[in-house]
Amino acid sequence: MADPKKKGKAEGPVSYDPSFSKEVFEKVDYGEKIKMCMQCGVCAASCPLSMVMDYSPRKIFALIRAGKRSEVLSSKAIMLCTSCYSCKVRCPRKVPVVDVMHGLANYALKQGYVPREETALFGREFWKQILRLGRIDEKDLPRRYFFSKGIIPGIKKSMELADMGIVLMLHKRMKLLPERSVKGIKELRKMLEKASAMGNGGA
Amino acid sequence: MGDGKITQTILVVGGGISGLTAALEAAEAGHEVIIVEKNPYLGGKVTQLYQYFPKLCPPNCGLEINFKRIRSNPRIRFFTMAQLAGVSGSPGDFEVQIKISPRYVNERCTCCGECAKVCETEIPNPFNFGLDKIKAAYLPHEFAFPMRYVIDPSIVGTEEGKRVAEACSYGAIDLGMKEETLTLKAGTIIWAAGWEPYEASKIEYYGFGVYPNVINNIMMERLASPVGPTGGKILRPSDKKEAKRVAFVQCAGSRDENHLAYCSSICCLASLKQANYLMETSPEAAATIFFIDIRAMDRLEDFYTMIKANDRIRFIKSKIAMITEDEATHDLLVEGENTQTGEQVRERFDLVVLATGMAPNKVPEWLLPYVGLDEYGFVINNGSNKGVFGAGCVRRPSDVATSVQDSTAAALKAIQTIVRR
Repeated sequence: MADPKKKGKAEGPVSYDPSFSKEVFEKVDYGEKIKMCMQCGVCAASCPLSMVMDYSPRKIFALIRAGKRSEVLSSKAIMLCTSCYSCKVRCPRKVPVVDVMHGLANYALKQGYVPREETALFGREFWKQILRLGRIDEKDLPRRYFFSKGIIPGIKKSMELADMGIVLMLHKRMKLLPERSVKGIKELRKMLEKASAMGNGGA
Repeated sequence: MGDGKITQTILVVGGGISGLTAALEAAEAGHEVIIVEKNPYLGGKVTQLYQYFPKLCPPNCGLEINFKRIRSNPRIRFFTMAQLAGVSGSPGDFEVQIKISPRYVNERCTCCGECAKVCETEIPNPFNFGLDKIKAAYLPHEFAFPMRYVIDPSIVGTEEGKRVAEACSYGAIDLGMKEETLTLKAGTIIWAAGWEPYEASKIEYYGFGVYPNVINNIMMERLASPVGPTGGKILRPSDKKEAKRVAFVQCAGSRDENHLAYCSSICCLASLKQANYLMETSPEAAATIFFIDIRAMDRLEDFYTMIKANDRIRFIKSKIAMITEDEATHDLLVEGENTQTGEQVRERFDLVVLATGMAPNKVPEWLLPYVGLDEYGFVINNGSNKGVFGAGCVRRPSDVATSVQDSTAAALKAIQTIVRR
């Protein structure tokens, strides 16, 4: 594990610390695939969200190699990935960039980092609902997400998006009645628990 | 000493610079050689290049010397518009089938051009990759060897075909020619079938074949050539306007696990050279080379240093991830990430040249019992070859100088097969 106190004590202006790379290779899902990266930047330029990321995927991989543990694990970029798969399809070294980003986000949360609270909250509410119903309730999930930060921000956010909610209901994209759980919800929960124990979990 | 059963003829498949070299080296060492070439002319891709790197001299010069050596050497026979269609037997005693497509023009042709004058049908010019059109009765190119016209099959059997044949006062046009297959004996085979530029339309996000102003590097050679479709002016295909801002996109397909996993080795120098072509067209012209690494090895680094000194040629370390077209102007927007500064690149260009890599021409299934391939489809020359040897770009992506060396080596291996001392 990288010790932040040791940083900067090595000779020269930049100290490369391999311990974080090793940690990523061993503990992060698909982390080992980063070894293939040749820093060409195709992922960065293919990413529709790179303009709002603090570090492009390429930079994340460079930071891992440079041993910048806290920069990587507290980076918003690793939680902004929307799984559009453009990077994974184009990567000339066949690095599964999407999977690595999700792996990093998952690992960051486990390590107590919360790089992007909104994403983490939404993710938690999403999974709670999947475990409860086996599906997503289109009005219940946003409501729970909006109110997860407290009652007042919840009301505020709901008011902001009320117009859209009404339109969605008029077009029958959102039902008034609560969703029922899927058939065989107990079996689904067992499957999800097993998958979670196997480790390949997303953010 | 060789025994009586060993056929002393060497068959060379491919009449490009590699095949010509192997054939000449073997013939000048005293062996009978047959060249089989699929084009109507000899010289291969080299005939389509404007200049060689790093000397920036015309390739026709060296080809002319090779053609002169062929003309003065009775041991070499060659077939154009011909392909190897089958092989049987064993080293020292091969039986080979050669399929010859009809040219419809015999050796009486004087290249007077009367047939082309009466011909009205035009076809996309294969020599210029369809960048211009040519009459269906045509000379493949100005320096064609053999210097002889070709009649395109599209006018054979038509009224126009008859008029074209009648226009010839030398009786050189014979529209009754048919495809024929010859069966010959050969002691050994040199496979010098060459390469094709990687099919860039497979890299969907570059828009090759969709956007007219995205071309590949071998098309750029034709645009720069004074005898090419634009008379040496670098004009964009969409509107024939002079291209001032040109982007060179390196590793278009090469070093990419989804396309060609290997480095094609010549594209860096080819783009450096082509940026130099552009500099000569106009003092306003500017080139930008987008690269992963510039791989200019050994003495070729001097050429890189020379090109880098030109302040109208920019180098940006970025693999390009997207090319889109501005529909109104047909300008191209090129996007990537500058990996030295970390900034996003989004720039507008008149013309984009994809530095496509070299894909070896495929070895037919029936030849594989005699010669091995590596994981990328390149021919391996080692102890396991059974009388068939690769030469030039079928062995590895290489420049002309390396191909010539490799072909000389292949000629020696072939000679050893039939001499058996």
